[in-house]
Amino acid sequence: MEVVDIRPLLAPVVSLMCGFLVFFSGERAWWRRFWSIAAAIVNLGVVYSMLPGVLDGVIYKFALIEFTPGIGLAFRVDALGMFFALVSSSLWLITTVYAIGYMESEHERARFFGFFALCVSTTIGIAFAENLLTLFLFYEMLTICTYPLVVHEETPEAMKAGRKYLVYTLVGGVFVLLGTAVTFQWAGTLTLSQTGILDMSAGRQGLTLLFVAFVIGFGVKAAIMPLHGWLPSAMVAPAPVSALLHAVAVVKAGAFGILRITFCVFGVELLQDLGIAIWLAAVASFTIVVASVIALTQNNFKRRLAYSTISQLSYIVLGAALLTPLAALGAIVHIANQAFQKITMFFVAGAIQRTTGRTNIDELAGIGYEMPYTMGAFTVAALGFIGIPLTAGFITKWYLSLGAMETGHWIFVVVLITSSVLNAAYWLPVIYMAFFKVSPGVRPHVKEAHWTLLVPTIVCAIYVILLGSLAEVPGMPLSLARTAVEFFFGS
Amino acid sequence: MGGGQWPVVLIITPLIGAALTPILARRRPQIAGYWALFVFSIVTLAAGVLMYRVSTQGPFSYYMGGWRPPLGIELRFDEFSASIGVICLIGWLSLMFSLAYAKHALPERRIPYYFALVLLCLGGMNGFAVTGDIFNLFVFLEILSLSGYALVAITGERIAELAAFKYLVMGAISSLSILLAVGFMYALTGTLNMTDLAMRLRDVEPFPVAVAVGALTLGFSVKAALLPLHIWLPDAHSIAPSPVSAILSGLVVKIGVLGMLRMYQILYKAQIFDLSALNTTLMWLGAISIVLGALFAMVQEDIKMMLAYSTISNIGYIFMGLGLASKYGIIGASVHIFNHALIKATLFLGAGALIHQTGYRNLEDLRGVGKAMPITSAAIAIGAISIVGIPPTAGFLCKWYIALGAIEAGRLFFAVTLLFGALFIFVYYIRMLNAFYFMPPAHPEILDVGEAPVTMLIPIVVLAMLCLLMGIFGRIPLSFIEPAVTNMLAPIGG
Repeated sequence: MEVVDIRPLLAPVVSLMCGFLVFFSGERAWWRRFWSIAAAIVNLGVVYSMLPGVLDGVIYKFALIEFTPGIGLAFRVDALGMFFALVSSSLWLITTVYAIGYMESEHERARFFGFFALCVSTTIGIAFAENLLTLFLFYEMLTICTYPLVVHEETPEAMKAGRKYLVYTLVGGVFVLLGTAVTFQWAGTLTLSQTGILDMSAGRQGLTLLFVAFVIGFGVKAAIMPLHGWLPSAMVAPAPVSALLHAVAVVKAGAFGILRITFCVFGVELLQDLGIAIWLAAVASFTIVVASVIALTQNNFKRRLAYSTISQLSYIVLGAALLTPLAALGAIVHIANQAFQKITMFFVAGAIQRTTGRTNIDELAGIGYEMPYTMGAFTVAALGFIGIPLTAGFITKWYLSLGAMETGHWIFVVVLITSSVLNAAYWLPVIYMAFFKVSPGVRPHVKEAHWTLLVPTIVCAIYVILLGSLAEVPGMPLSLARTAVEFFFGS
Repeated sequence: MGGGQWPVVLIITPLIGAALTPILARRRPQIAGYWALFVFSIVTLAAGVLMYRVSTQGPFSYYMGGWRPPLGIELRFDEFSASIGVICLIGWLSLMFSLAYAKHALPERRIPYYFALVLLCLGGMNGFAVTGDIFNLFVFLEILSLSGYALVAITGERIAELAAFKYLVMGAISSLSILLAVGFMYALTGTLNMTDLAMRLRDVEPFPVAVAVGALTLGFSVKAALLPLHIWLPDAHSIAPSPVSAILSGLVVKIGVLGMLRMYQILYKAQIFDLSALNTTLMWLGAISIVLGALFAMVQEDIKMMLAYSTISNIGYIFMGLGLASKYGIIGASVHIFNHALIKATLFLGAGALIHQTGYRNLEDLRGVGKAMPITSAAIAIGAISIVGIPPTAGFLCKWYIALGAIEAGRLFFAVTLLFGALFIFVYYIRMLNAFYFMPPAHPEILDVGEAPVTMLIPIVVLAMLCLLMGIFGRIPLSFIEPAVTNMLAPIGG
């Protein structure tokens, strides 16, 4: 059932407006905080109010404007879009609280929080895009809005990282735009409301190239190797930016784009005929393993996180590329699982940096006694990445493995197990350092992070456990992901 | 024909107003600006009436003195003539901007001449857009070009005179070549009226027509600064006073494009010969312009020089769209005539305000100006994002349509060139934005300058808003352009 409703438009517009109000608040700290938090709450409220309907199979849509017949800006809330929007907007609220605490002593805060709000507005726009053009539009806006956040420190290193970021993502954007234009020529429509708009009449070779173009375009933000170069260098940005944008919004926008291309533009059947998705799965597997190996060698906390992100994102790509219902379910649900786990870790890294000034892993000896709650949260997230049952990561691994077995390619199960082992190999030593390696004779005393940093971290960690243990409860992300998968596979 | 006098108002008013300006402002040069603004307000009003009429009733003609063609002079107002909308808008805003700017940038006794020349130039452009007669087309082209040369030189600095001279030499070649073509056409067909011409060209031997078409293309390409005929543009556009740069870059080069569109209108209707050789040439030159214009712009330090080279890239977009000769390609090119005018006017006026307030024009010296002049800098940032074609700004739609046109015509390569060319363009605009916002100032005193006077600020803000809105409400120019392009391509089954 499709319903015309203003809310799909309202969600991005409200946060956009608040973003501008933040700019105008300037250095008046109270107003700046007020508008930042207000934007987050209103945005979450609007998105959340559509959840019951979406779970019942209602689809909300709103056509904003049409340039020429068939080309225009339109919004549409289906299960997959809702899933992404819900994850982004709830994490945004948490991150805003964290950022207010974290950025206390920073410069240019109006610019920071203003663009922060704009980014989430564009992310919601990506989630609710009804057609490829709208999706592209917000995808590019996201690039522009994140640039000031990446170069926030204004150091030569930050400027260099920003340049790299722009080159990668804008080149990716060109591929997406090219793909969009070609799709319009072949399909005569750009809608994302169907399970495939292209068909074989366009020719096997052409379709293959088109798919590759889209994968490159979205793969840049999803950091598929070898398109990942921007992500580790972009870690110079402040911790909340890394957390929200490089573990959640930006990179997930890429992964989300790949899901849309796979299931809504090409469709499962066409991709099975083409036989190209298996190559994407191979590239994703390569990324999963190699990025994990590189993560092992990183000593800087945030850089290790960055490579872990690259590896984890490819779970989503792999799940999409396997083209089976269970793998797709694992892929979609991993959007939420990875987001909460990774944001917990980034919060921890930021809290440690702000509280103790330490940024490298070998400096963390005994930190578990100084910051017990923070490191407790970290432990939960680390166990999640390893895939221990009762944490979110287990759900992902379970469905992805089942999906891989459905295809009959056992090798992908091996990849997933290898990844678990590698995750254990680079996260467990941190926990060991934190709790079991206190220098003799030193009695560490508790010196926890400020509450604005601590509370968001703990909330996220608790949610990681909830995601893992209560996954089957209606209203949890899994039910939403299941609705999406049922639509894509037509059952 | 009720209200049919309006096309005449469009042309006569600015010309008479221009002639009167130096007389009225003889004692008090400062009133010249207000007078020019007043005169041009009437013209803008007329333009509004005419645009409303063409959008409701379709194209119409006005016969001077009631004489019908082929004897009389016809003013034909069709959808392409709706470009007077953008001419009047940018003309009016540039005049407003000039009020404060001229006081500062020009010797006092030249101020009346400055405003008179701007009015002449704008009047010439209006005439060019609405005339239905190729000889008048040439006359109006000369009016606007001559006033353009003089405006480049008006500051009286030696370098400005050199730039104007270079512009004059190239312009004269182009004018001669167009005059030659007009003469050819007349000799072949015995008519100067465009509609008539299209009919009679069908029965004429193709070879001399091809020579005339070549001459017209050459002439208009010089005016439009298509590579390799662009050499006059960077100096002229960067040295002229900023409001003049906005008019030259936003409008005057587009006159060359408009001339090409008029020529295509006739040729498609006449169907005298296959145009694919011409189209292919334009397409390639367009592609080369995009890439080389961007590469040249990258190495510039002077902000206005950078903007000038960026015009060359953008003209490349337009010519590529024309050359593709597919529906979306031509739509994209025509939309870009409008949108690039808006964007480039934003950027040049913005740059003018920066130079006016700080006295610097190099990127390095302008570091940190984003904090000192937040409104102007934000407008420039919007213009920059727009010109690169990042959605949802005005520039994106053109890029999208031209890319669609390239794919429609089966020329994926040009779509790729276009889109990657746009990235090159971004490389230098990001340098500009980095300097404004993310770098410590080279001259600390720059932080103390304030925003420009309000008469300069309003045009900048209005234009920047339009850059944003035209991306979202891109339908408005399209409602004029789409029927025009459909009509134009109808004879060849487009």
